[in-house]
Amino acid sequence: MTTLNSVGHATPRIDALKRVTGGATYTADIAVPNMLYARVLRSPHPHARIRKIDLSKAQALPGVKTILTHDNCDIIWSSGDTRNKRYLFNNPVRFAGDAVAAVAAVDRYVAEEALRLIEVDYETLPFVLEPEEALKPDAPEIQPGGNLSPNNQGKAEPAIEKRGNIEEGFKAADHVFEDRYQTPHINNAQLEPRASMAHWEGDKLIVYASTQGIANCRTDIAKDMKIPVEKVQVICQYMGGGFGNKNQCHDFDLMAAELSKRADAPVRLEFTRKEDFISVHGRWPTVQYYKVGVKNDGMLTAIQMRGYSGMGPYRKGAGDISGVEVYQVPHVEKTSYMVYTNKAVSANFRAPAYPQGVFALESVMDDAAHGLKMDPLEFRLKNYTRKFRDQQPYSSSGLEDCLRKGAERFGWKQRWRPAAADTGVVKRGVGMGMGMFPSSLGRSNAILRVDSKGNYDVHVGVTDCGTAAKTTMALIAAEALEAPLDRITVIWGDTDTCPYSVGESGSRTTVFTGQAVIEAAKDLKKQIAEKGLPKGDQFWRADAAPNPQLRDLARYSFTAHFAEVEVDTETGHIRVTKFVAAHDSGRIVNPLTAESQVKGGATTGIGMALHEQLLYDKRSGLPLTAGYYNARIMTHMDAPEIEVVWVETDDPYGPYGAKTLGEPTIIPAVAAVANAFFNATGKRVKELPLTRDKVLGALSEGALA
Amino acid sequence: MKTFTNVNPKSVQEAVKLLGQQGKTTAVVGGGSDLLGMVKERLIQPDILVNLKTIPGLDKITEQGGEVRIGGLTTLATISQDPTIRSRYKVLADAAGAVGTPQIRNAGTIAGNVSQRPWCWYFRNGFPCFKNGGKTCFSIAGENEFHAIFGGGPSYIVHPSDTAPALVALDAKFRIAGPAGERTIAASEFFAPPSKDPSRENVLAHDEVLVEIHLPAAPRGLRSTYHKELDRESWTHAIVSVAVALEMDRDFCKKARVVLGGVAPIPWRLPKVEAMLAGKRITPELAAQAGAASIEGAQPLAKNKYKLPLTKAIVKRTLTAVAA
Repeated sequence: MTTLNSVGHATPRIDALKRVTGGATYTADIAVPNMLYARVLRSPHPHARIRKIDLSKAQALPGVKTILTHDNCDIIWSSGDTRNKRYLFNNPVRFAGDAVAAVAAVDRYVAEEALRLIEVDYETLPFVLEPEEALKPDAPEIQPGGNLSPNNQGKAEPAIEKRGNIEEGFKAADHVFEDRYQTPHINNAQLEPRASMAHWEGDKLIVYASTQGIANCRTDIAKDMKIPVEKVQVICQYMGGGFGNKNQCHDFDLMAAELSKRADAPVRLEFTRKEDFISVHGRWPTVQYYKVGVKNDGMLTAIQMRGYSGMGPYRKGAGDISGVEVYQVPHVEKTSYMVYTNKAVSANFRAPAYPQGVFALESVMDDAAHGLKMDPLEFRLKNYTRKFRDQQPYSSSGLEDCLRKGAERFGWKQRWRPAAADTGVVKRGVGMGMGMFPSSLGRSNAILRVDSKGNYDVHVGVTDCGTAAKTTMALIAAEALEAPLDRITVIWGDTDTCPYSVGESGSRTTVFTGQAVIEAAKDLKKQIAEKGLPKGDQFWRADAAPNPQLRDLARYSFTAHFAEVEVDTETGHIRVTKFVAAHDSGRIVNPLTAESQVKGGATTGIGMALHEQLLYDKRSGLPLTAGYYNARIMTHMDAPEIEVVWVETDDPYGPYGAKTLGEPTIIPAVAAVANAFFNATGKRVKELPLTRDKVLGALSEGALA
Repeated sequence: MKTFTNVNPKSVQEAVKLLGQQGKTTAVVGGGSDLLGMVKERLIQPDILVNLKTIPGLDKITEQGGEVRIGGLTTLATISQDPTIRSRYKVLADAAGAVGTPQIRNAGTIAGNVSQRPWCWYFRNGFPCFKNGGKTCFSIAGENEFHAIFGGGPSYIVHPSDTAPALVALDAKFRIAGPAGERTIAASEFFAPPSKDPSRENVLAHDEVLVEIHLPAAPRGLRSTYHKELDRESWTHAIVSVAVALEMDRDFCKKARVVLGGVAPIPWRLPKVEAMLAGKRITPELAAQAGAASIEGAQPLAKNKYKLPLTKAIVKRTLTAVAA
């Protein structure tokens, strides 16, 4: 690949100084005169019908301005459920944390006190927490029509994906490996707490949101508030992470808007950390039954998967279980049940369908390699995908290099030994996993301007959820304009000053909006070539809204992760001692922030493998581990050194050949750690996370059961 | 959070008086690292917070006649770094240094650490359990992976303090001020099992203040340490911990105190193990026997059987390490 001037050079974030010196204004920092504070009352039951809500005491409390409940507010939150009508306030309430009322008051203490004065008469209903239980005929019905959430055709059937003939695949196999795997609900646990500040200027609604996509947020708000999209302005200048749970507009944005309208005052609605954990959404928990067929030489013949995803009571997320495509195999059958439960809602969290799917997939593949007495790396080199679903060529693929170069940096050859090779108390083991994630193309916009001094403005509708998107756009603009970085000013995060951007979800911003910046820059350069620089207060402007499409090609990013662990077999303690993450994300636009992406994603995956979960009390249906302490979110002390290996393919599409990066970074990390545990001990823990009870249980051969 | 009044007394006597006010709910606050969280969560709803930090002299480490005295407001960070504590009472320095995170150790005090409320998730999530004024313990038939394997019933919480087992191992004394004057009791008498009163973890009355902790002069040859097992690398309470204090005469153990944390509603002394060690040379074999004996009489719940091999292992290892 050719070396470029700006793109490809490690560059600090353009807003780094503001962020680390307290100069960045986050949504919860925004305050305006006469602003009211809002709080939400939430269901203390996993499933209950509300007989009556008595607001008289709460309304009598001095300082209380407005209260919304299902009795007086029928706004539908359309992005909160893609199958059913989900209101801001639902009756019955279907999970512990479902919103019952929202109060706006003069300060947050009055608002909180008012919540306590609202008297709700609940008729508790039977509830169900686990997806397999929820499909039993006698399970309590969570949504009308049953607990199997409809598929894309609107039918209450599982999603089925077939290729070849699965029976033939198993017939052709010399060995069959099968097992059941389970993964828990895990919260995104982004650092920035959730808040929304809404106010009206006449018939115009202004919302300061904490969102990964101002354009989508704006469209959603306009739709649900039933006002024209031009009458909504969404602003998000700085945000502190979302990892997928700030993609759309959220119910609290709508609540703040409606409270503000009724109280005729600006309203800031805030969440506690506990609310953030239970009432937004997290990663969908799964149960997965895998069955794979292999020949004696290690070639795969069939992969069959039956999976159950617990979606919570509303279908906010897709719920699929992904990863199978990373293997080349002629016969595939995937059956996925997306199931309503009375747990917290499940939806997007960094590569939503992948880490849990790849944990199970790569566990069963690891078992297959072990059963065949093969090096797991050799097994994967034999079976990795050459064509998408064995049919469609990739625009570029560095998967083999991820496997080879990652393994080389890791020292796989020297470190890998057959399972349970160590005889001492502390056993060392290595594991790996591979994955892929779509790097799609599509529409996004950019507006570029140049003034008489040759300074450029880059208007892009990004908010920068932590990916350094603003800096990425500046680098791409500098490259495309052949201008130094300090001539570029990025204007972001405000739907009134920025054009449409795809939103920082699906790891699309660099590719989509980056391409728009390039197209606008081309136009602007042409104008400058024709007219010269503008004079005086004039400026030239270029708008671009490219919508590139792929033809007959699959475009994916690829990755392989390698982990070494030490397992203390007496205490059950697991320590990750080495971790290498190899990534093909095409050309890397900013190696500095890209490395941070990989480290963050891999660390989250390690946490998912070792200790994170939103655990429920089975008898009450209430969550027990909402919050950073009990959910055992990774701390700095838990994070190992993560070495990053770039496999830069020269992809013909995307800005300078860049492909998706943010989400692939978590995908194989979970499996790599779990497989390393197996390699160390010869025991497989099939239910995440690998906590002491499960680890010591597995090591005790059932003596602790 | 319920609105409260913060009061800054100038003396312990004034603090005691404020705490005992009739008709008001009061609570004492030192570092506040946990207490303020509990106020926010409405696990406690005091009208008045009595702030001890304005009382001079409560955060000092002093020596008197060989005895070392630690003011109740001394921070965990100070204790973990204090040269005297580190050299003579290593188990306490280790334990103080094992608490929470640097931020918590910088704010949190020794008095607060030994008297903090349990971290049982039923209690902290506001379930109507014994600790929240109810009549049941939800862990017995619930999610009990972190609960007691010793001394449970009717409540099965585990005592959350790291420094408490260390102080019991050192045979510390607690000086307590109350309306009727002062009393000094052994650390082991301070902590109270749930069989006495399942709503509480110690004998400190509502209008009493834990003023000072006295460490008896360190006997010759005292070797001590604290080992804590966590289920992530920082900021969790012990899933199992052990405080060991051995009086050694060359490689003979004259006298031993072994106290477990994270396994019982109070710091859990192991008299039988202590007796096994007294007068013996601590060989790896003896340490292993002591480890095996450490779980005698344990009554694990459905999901915490893993604490048995874990306890065995760390007792064995810690004894071996201290004696080495």
